[in-house]
Amino acid sequence: MLALHTLQEEQARLKMRLQELRRKLRDVPKDKVPFPVPEVPLVFRGHIQQDREMAKSVISKLQICYPLPGGSAVVIFDDPNVAKQVLQQKEHKINVEEFWLRVQVQPLELPMLTTIQVSSQMSDQRVLVSGFPAELKLSEEELLDKLEIFFGKTKNGGGDVEMRELLQGGVMLGFAKDGVAQRLCQTGQFTVPLGKQQVPLRASPYVSGTIQKAEVRSQLVPQAVLVLNIPDVLDGPELQDILEVHFQKPTRGGGEVEALRVVPLGHRGLAVFTAKSG
Amino acid sequence: MAANEDNKKQALKECCLDEEFTRDEQNQKLIDEIAKENILLTEEIQKLEAELQEATRNSQINEDIPETKIKFTSVENPESDSQFSNISYSCQVSSKVPYELQKGQALITFEKEEVAQNVIRRGEHYVQLQDVNVKMMAKPVPLNSGVRFQVHVEVSKMKVNVTEIPDILPESQMRDKLELSFYKSRNGGGEVESVEYDKQSGSAVITFAESGVADKILKMKDYPLYINQNCHRVIVSPYTETHLKKFQVFSGIAKRTVLLTGMENLQKTDEETVEDFINIHFQREKNGGGEVEVVACSLGQSQIAYFEE
Repeated sequence: MLALHTLQEEQARLKMRLQELRRKLRDVPKDKVPFPVPEVPLVFRGHIQQDREMAKSVISKLQICYPLPGGSAVVIFDDPNVAKQVLQQKEHKINVEEFWLRVQVQPLELPMLTTIQVSSQMSDQRVLVSGFPAELKLSEEELLDKLEIFFGKTKNGGGDVEMRELLQGGVMLGFAKDGVAQRLCQTGQFTVPLGKQQVPLRASPYVSGTIQKAEVRSQLVPQAVLVLNIPDVLDGPELQDILEVHFQKPTRGGGEVEALRVVPLGHRGLAVFTAKSG
Repeated sequence: MAANEDNKKQALKECCLDEEFTRDEQNQKLIDEIAKENILLTEEIQKLEAELQEATRNSQINEDIPETKIKFTSVENPESDSQFSNISYSCQVSSKVPYELQKGQALITFEKEEVAQNVIRRGEHYVQLQDVNVKMMAKPVPLNSGVRFQVHVEVSKMKVNVTEIPDILPESQMRDKLELSFYKSRNGGGEVESVEYDKQSGSAVITFAESGVADKILKMKDYPLYINQNCHRVIVSPYTETHLKKFQVFSGIAKRTVLLTGMENLQKTDEETVEDFINIHFQREKNGGGEVEVVACSLGQSQIAYFEE
């Protein structure tokens, strides 16, 4: 008897799962997404290709931050060949009036993404909240807090929020429990207090992405030299001058210096690099 | 329909259950039958799950990123310790949205959105292409969806990855051997803060107490691991974490670009000339136009035009 009952329960569960799957398969995003997603204005700039063998993405906002320890400096030369010359000796002796300053030099290598593969999938835990009025005067953090408070409440159909992200034209909310996202999407429309206003917002399915493959390669910055282990004998500005003079001396293999930044001992810094435009 | 039948079956089963629950034999038959049905259902579910997985994967981005020239911008003060223990890389990836430009169609991008919308509102345009007057229809470009996301890569200054560790010692003992090998400054090591060893994959993550040690070790491709008089070479590589942020599917909307149709039966094949005439026509204010950024038309084969932000 018990066995029969368990089997019947199992069957009911299986049938429900089957229905759910059939529904999902029907709703799968084909070329066009079946539900509204935020619009992003696009422009045709004359890029045409007869076949599809062309970079399908645009890479922008590239930024690399390289931590510099105390007692270091980064030198950028005009000419990469000068950097190469400077790097031929690992140690540089710098003449400062009556003593010598010994420093180490190193090439600067930065990690660069060379291949990225991302797949997208309908998410069971996340929703996209959209419909924010343009004149909303809330900071990113304030807006996310207000949304989390509203959608964190079970009486509003929500649940524990585990993830939140501001996107263009919408906010992604990720819930701890399965089913919350689906419930919110079924309701669809919500009136959410945001500051002094009651704002009508829409909850729709969120398509999430997963990195399938990412390849990172080390790339040399040809004009750059990293100076390390600078002893603590001089003040920042003075040290800066002395290093600049040293690395500009052609007799020491140096040349025209485009930029030189010192991080004195006891401090630390982040050297920021971006893409050279054009 | 199917659901109805299922219900009937279910009702039948339940009624059988009530009346004949003493008859074990029948019960057993029922159990077998349901068990069989359940197996079939499970199989179908598995099939659908696989299909769903396949279907939802269709929008995959796979991009090789060309080498980018890098320039130094500034030195900033790190806000948190984590920024100081990693070299961090970040970028935004946005897909270009393709539009298949059919034979007889053209795309025209105006500098101002109002002009483009105005051209669409007018709808019909009579454009003089040398000696022929062509009636063109201006429409919004129907665009597909695209994706955009940020990739964040962090290469640790404190940790290194170790692989190809021979599986010859119990876990805790191997952890000690790793620490003992990697703290030796003679070999380029330094004080070890922690060792995470995974026996199964033969790999470990070594965290050093000071920055700079990982750099030194990574200059070598392999590193000596001493286990009872024997020296094994293990492979060292940078410890890298990759994250995806702000992933978003968007629908493209062309506000400054307009689709022109009506050139299907044109006798000309010189696209450049036709583009020039279209450009001239739509630059004129009296034609409802304005400053034109770019024109492209397709008179022969269809072509793929890419839209970007």
